[in-house]
Amino acid sequence: MSNNTSRPGSLSKRLNRVKTYLSKPQNAILLALGIMLTITTVFPMITILRDTVLIHPGSKDAVGTALESSFDFGSEKLTSYNWTNLFTGTITTRVGRTRVTRSVADVYLWTPLLNSVLISIFACFGSILYGGIFAYLVTRTNLKCKKYLSSIFIFPYIMPQWTLAVVWQNLFNSNVVTGGSNGLLANMFGITMPQWWCEGIFPVSVVLAIHYAPFAYILIGGIFRNMDANLEEAATILNSPRWKTFLRVTLPLIKPAILSTILLVFSSAMGSYPIPHYLKLNTLSTQYVAMKGDRIGQASILAVIMMLFGFIILIINQRTTSGRKNFTTVTGKSGQTSVVNLRAWKYILSVILILTTLATGILPIVLFAIETFLPNPGDYSFLTNASSLTSKWWLTSENITESGMYGNKGILYNQQIWNAFAGTLFVAICCALVAGTIGTLVGYCVSKNRRSKWAAYVNNMAFLPYLMPSLAVGVAFFVVGSNMGLYDTFLLLILAGTVKYIPFASRSALNSMMQLSGELEEAAIILDIPWWKRMTQIIIPIQKTSIISGYLLPFMTCLRELTLFMLLCGQGRIITTMLDYFDEMGLYAFSSGINLILIVSILIFNYFVNKLTGASLDSGIGGGKK
Amino acid sequence: MARIELKNVTKRWGGYYAVEHLDLNIEENAFVTLLGPSGCGKTTTLRMIAGLETPTEGRITIDDTVMFDSELGINIPPNKRRVGFLFQNYALWPNMTVYQNIAFGLSNINEPGVYVNDAGEVVRDGQDKSKLTLTKDEIKRVIDRVSAIVKIGPFLERYPSELSGGQQQRVAIARTLAPSPKVLFMDEPLSNLDAKLRLEMRSELQRLHLSTGSTFVYVTHDQMEAMTLATKICLIDNARLQQYDEPLTIYSQPRNLFVADFVGNPAVNFIEATGVQNASDSSSSIELEFLDGFKGKFVPESGVDLEAWHNHEAKLQAEDEAKRRGYVEKTNKDLPFKYNIARVHEPEQTQTKQLTHNDFVIGIRPEFIKLSDDGKIEGEVFSAMPTGMETTLKIRVGNFLLTAVAFGEMFYKIGTKVRMDFSGHRIMLFSRENGMRITNGELIINA
Ligand SMILES: Nc1ncnc2c1ncn2[C@@H]1O[C@H](COP(=O)(O)OP(=O)(O)O)[C@@H](O)[C@H]1O
Ligand SMILES: [Mg+2]
Repeated sequence: MSNNTSRPGSLSKRLNRVKTYLSKPQNAILLALGIMLTITTVFPMITILRDTVLIHPGSKDAVGTALESSFDFGSEKLTSYNWTNLFTGTITTRVGRTRVTRSVADVYLWTPLLNSVLISIFACFGSILYGGIFAYLVTRTNLKCKKYLSSIFIFPYIMPQWTLAVVWQNLFNSNVVTGGSNGLLANMFGITMPQWWCEGIFPVSVVLAIHYAPFAYILIGGIFRNMDANLEEAATILNSPRWKTFLRVTLPLIKPAILSTILLVFSSAMGSYPIPHYLKLNTLSTQYVAMKGDRIGQASILAVIMMLFGFIILIINQRTTSGRKNFTTVTGKSGQTSVVNLRAWKYILSVILILTTLATGILPIVLFAIETFLPNPGDYSFLTNASSLTSKWWLTSENITESGMYGNKGILYNQQIWNAFAGTLFVAICCALVAGTIGTLVGYCVSKNRRSKWAAYVNNMAFLPYLMPSLAVGVAFFVVGSNMGLYDTFLLLILAGTVKYIPFASRSALNSMMQLSGELEEAAIILDIPWWKRMTQIIIPIQKTSIISGYLLPFMTCLRELTLFMLLCGQGRIITTMLDYFDEMGLYAFSSGINLILIVSILIFNYFVNKLTGASLDSGIGGGKK
Repeated sequence: MARIELKNVTKRWGGYYAVEHLDLNIEENAFVTLLGPSGCGKTTTLRMIAGLETPTEGRITIDDTVMFDSELGINIPPNKRRVGFLFQNYALWPNMTVYQNIAFGLSNINEPGVYVNDAGEVVRDGQDKSKLTLTKDEIKRVIDRVSAIVKIGPFLERYPSELSGGQQQRVAIARTLAPSPKVLFMDEPLSNLDAKLRLEMRSELQRLHLSTGSTFVYVTHDQMEAMTLATKICLIDNARLQQYDEPLTIYSQPRNLFVADFVGNPAVNFIEATGVQNASDSSSSIELEFLDGFKGKFVPESGVDLEAWHNHEAKLQAEDEAKRRGYVEKTNKDLPFKYNIARVHEPEQTQTKQLTHNDFVIGIRPEFIKLSDDGKIEGEVFSAMPTGMETTLKIRVGNFLLTAVAFGEMFYKIGTKVRMDFSGHRIMLFSRENGMRITNGELIINA
């Protein structure tokens, strides 16, 4: 720095360079976005890390610190107790009459961690298999009813996560095996499913796989649709057997889509709270919720571990997507795609798929609807006696404590429910607006600076929250929010939602902006058209649908988000936490009613946005449309 | 080394015909080009022969094996037809290196007695019938051979994305050649290359055809490419075969106005004419009036009876129509070819005239317009485009424009007066009524 003075021109030269750099709006915006995203993404992470060494009054660490050492850090007292106790401590539990001593790590860490990893792996595997096969059938064969199938196939993703978990319970639970009321199968046919089928790793994995299969379908299907059919035909002509063509040509071509799916599904599955919660599996997220009462610091360690997985996935992804084999499979010239003739199988497979999609897409809605007319939860007596159905859960307009309403008004008259619904709408709209705008800007600026390291950094920062399990992000904002006195405010919800959903918008914007030739804007620059005019009159009109998709996906996801928000507010603030509350209370008719309202409104929103603007969840997730 | 025979082959999607009742005989060792405007059905034809597309009806034989027959229900899959296919966009597998791309097809060979001879060629009927596949070493020898042919030796370890368009093209050729196919199909293989490279590859393909001795079927929309490469051209328009002949025959004896117009660069001059046949003249000459006031006598190269010719054509057309009546109606209708008369000012409107046997179109190739000081037609140079070897001239005669080619280094100033004649006896005479060529002959302009 000292020789700056000896070369007087150098400082002003540097200043000039900075000025030139910033005179391009995309650079200035990129700089601002980079700083902002660093704060919103990194700050909460650091806060969690810090939380693991804080002493929480009334928590185990407060007691434990008295025994172990603590150290002063500035004005604060910090402790390593949470870490040492979690990894090396022991606890004594009572099993029947005998007292058993076990290590803390076994109980609170290794078991849930193993479960989390297993369900994430199974979810990836299952969703890729199911979604991939479905994508193949829809895009490359002469399957029947493709249109219907492809639109209903994504229902499970549009619907709240727990929907299928609840349906699973309603179908398979039985008093003998799981306790509680009998499910539909036990009720109607007297069939009782075994324990492993009803609860634990198996159902959680299946439900997660079905929930995320639309990702795989949209991403893999996008490649299948645009894949140059000649690549496979060239192999066929060279006498390659079908399986070999598939293994050596097709599979490598869809590998990027498979990797993207893993990227998206793994951490989403890991961070899912409601599904393991309903289906009674001990995972990191359910364990976190169980521990946040008296082991807050250690719970934060679980959140840190979840975040680590996010980082690992990000690094693996970068490793695999850079390299010599990196290629685009989508050619501008799309040859005629030859369609595989399934012969008789086309009917068999169509029927099978129609039945499964009905079960995963339509059945939940029907079951929820029925549930709201049952006199008591699980009381299916209407099957023999139609008059036992009741509309009290909807229509009761006064405060009555009898007939199982516990003083709640019917759903249609229940101010609490509608307030929460309005709250959800408000949060969703705000999140969508902010996340959509920022994401679009990130997509635009990054596409304008393709080679710049800073742009790549901003892009990664914008994407990172996606790879962070929802619960971990929720925890981070919970810690930040409690420290800043924002707990249970809309502001905190919107903040968390925005950060978590920017990736949706930035991905979809980046995907489409990358396809936009820079010359379009350069033509306008030469005519000296100002930046805002170029944006509003050229870029935005051209990219209208993909930009709207960037707003749509955060909106939809926000409507049905529970995991991210449940730690951040009281139960009456938004509809999903309200639903959780009724569920805990055992008022299943109410929770089913809310589920029904949510699902139906999401489907209606989706339908109209799609019809009016052509935007779709597909393009938001990143699947190519023809 | 293989004959290909198509009989009455049709491919349609609903009522849209991509290929309509195509009969085609491709001889052994031929280099046949499928030529025609974009969308006329060339690719579809090629893909049907290769087995990538299933014809709606018809019969396809390669050598003496029936590959497809709609009536017998035979359809041999593409991988069993032992053909090579070069795709328009190369279709190189991006996930494999150049070496792997070429080796892939070789590793699939599974036939008794296969081996690689000293020249590095795959031979399929060796003595050792227990040997079904090629060894790694044999594969390497084949790759050495083909990579030497197309000069890609230095790139074998690269991925396709690391190659230029021309190099990718060569790799695609090598991949197709490697298993020594008896027929080689190529779908516009040069259309993605720049002009210079295209010329170079063209001559290499020609050499390749000689050295491999395989039958080549080559799709192109570029008439120059077809003319220069082919032993025979199959010219298609709107799914229908227009003419199947040797290039020079197509050039000098086109069957109809479309063929005459499509082949040749610069394009043929069309001139509308009216006239009657001299009944008395033994050379069956026709007195014509054309170019707003010029008169002349057309002398056919061999005698023609116009009346008889028209009757014959009408009969053929009726037969064709009768045959087609039984088929699904063609939604992509065959319209009469709209030949272009070059004019300085386009006429305000063209009233549709009722055409008779006495309406003709004269077709004159640019090289048959001879400039000479004592020419009978006077015109004015409208534009001149010298290439060094020759000059393409547009000459204005009244409101009409005629294209001529003058060889040698001459300078033509725009606006100068020139005189010209129509020389030779390869002036073409078409019927304006049905668009078919009646005959070639000499056009003597009255002074
Ligand atoms: N799979 C298909 N479905 C419907 N029409 C098709 C299909 N493939 C090709 N065609 C139509 O058939 C015609 C011939 O196509 P093609 O053989 O590819 O033409 P080209 O001569 O340019 O190679 C085109 O008009 C095309 O639109
Ligand atoms: Mg074509």
